[in-house]
Amino acid sequence: MSAVATLQRKSNPGRDYGYSNARVRGMRARLFTQAYLDDLMASKDISDVIQVLMQTEYGPDLEERLLHGRTAQQVDEALKDNMVRKFRKVLGLANDEAYGLMIVLLGRWDLFNVKTILRGIHMSLSHEEIEDSLIAVGQLSHVDMVELAKQPSVKALVDTLATWELPYAVPLRAEMAHYNEDGDLSVLELALDKFYTAWADKSLRCRRSNAKLARRFLGVQVDTINLLTCLRLLNADVEAEEVNRFYLPGGLHVKEELFSDLASMSDVDEVYERLKRTPYGRPVEAVAIKYVEHGSVSVFERALEDYLMRRAFAAGQGEPLGVGIIIGYMWAKANEVTNLRIIVKGVSVGMPVERIKEELIIV
Amino acid sequence: MIKNKLARKVFGSSFVAAMVVPAIALAEEGTTATLGDNVYIARAIAAGLAMSVSALAAGYAQARIGAAGAGTLAERPEAGMNLIVLQALPEIIVLLGFVIAFMIGTAA
Repeated sequence: MSAVATLQRKSNPGRDYGYSNARVRGMRARLFTQAYLDDLMASKDISDVIQVLMQTEYGPDLEERLLHGRTAQQVDEALKDNMVRKFRKVLGLANDEAYGLMIVLLGRWDLFNVKTILRGIHMSLSHEEIEDSLIAVGQLSHVDMVELAKQPSVKALVDTLATWELPYAVPLRAEMAHYNEDGDLSVLELALDKFYTAWADKSLRCRRSNAKLARRFLGVQVDTINLLTCLRLLNADVEAEEVNRFYLPGGLHVKEELFSDLASMSDVDEVYERLKRTPYGRPVEAVAIKYVEHGSVSVFERALEDYLMRRAFAAGQGEPLGVGIIIGYMWAKANEVTNLRIIVKGVSVGMPVERIKEELIIV
Repeated sequence: MIKNKLARKVFGSSFVAAMVVPAIALAEEGTTATLGDNVYIARAIAAGLAMSVSALAAGYAQARIGAAGAGTLAERPEAGMNLIVLQALPEIIVLLGFVIAFMIGTAA
């Protein structure tokens, strides 16, 4: 990425994971247990939640945010602040090899942020509203993103990205003509997704075991996105030739051929049958009945998210002196913050405990 | 294999020292080498190798444990006592090396 938008860190040459992984393991030991989350869910109101969280490592972030009011929104911001702080800390500890690999994997957050800004500007939202949805855990800093969010138009945003020599400008520039024609934002978003997955897959092509592990993990992420696209396309009126346009490269098991096969199927039962020979067969089959009851693709989305999280945790339980520990921690931390945000929102609106539990991603 | 430049140098110089020092010591005595002298030289080299290689191995292990221990201490200071035990464990390798060197040196 460009010199403008890079994380400030001291170089840590070599591939010694002893120190960094020991610290990351220590940080992982402080993640909340299921029992702790259960207690938190049983809180009467948001003040109780704040009181409990103040005793944890979220305390300093909460203290800072609560100066602006003891609301669920401020707690939510504090949780995000903590996640950003922890991710930056881990990236600061990592050696050069791990840093390079994690920057590629965390690129999905940069992608998420750029897409959020793009949507915000497209919908003519104010930069304050866009800022609330950003999480600066990738290579783009919060300051960079605020500057991007202040751009008056999509064209100005793309031009700024190009001026900063950020690679995301390349696919956006290529599709700007289409966007200008019909104002369809999905064209730009798809171009960004394709660009990221192709770039990440290429960046992780290496014989080293750590790069292979990171690439496998990226592959699972891309597979889950492709599978969800297939499931959504089942109910959409899209021409068979058009389907492959949505395929993202870099997947582990879901290759282009399987993707077009799945997307051309008429119902979910056929998809189960075709997926049986892949690792995604079991998670998809497990929620089949739920899908019949709800009729919503979000059921599969949830099942695949759970599967991805299991894979992230598994990555952290393999090689003790490898990048898997860092990957496992970062995804577990993101999962914890997501769960806490759900609990905070649920408790603040008086949602029943059972309903909150259903929403949590616990592996 | 040993990739680190410094580790290669340390290992190389220890190896040379273990091989050369006993030979120089013998040469200084100014005697013509006999079968008994050759056995003595071989024993001295073997004992030197047993000691130096085990010391290097222990040093390498302690360096790795030390780095990981420092990381653990930074995050979990309560694990300090366990770390001291873990840090001392590789010393056994040196002790074993010393015992083997001693046995080689004193064998009849």
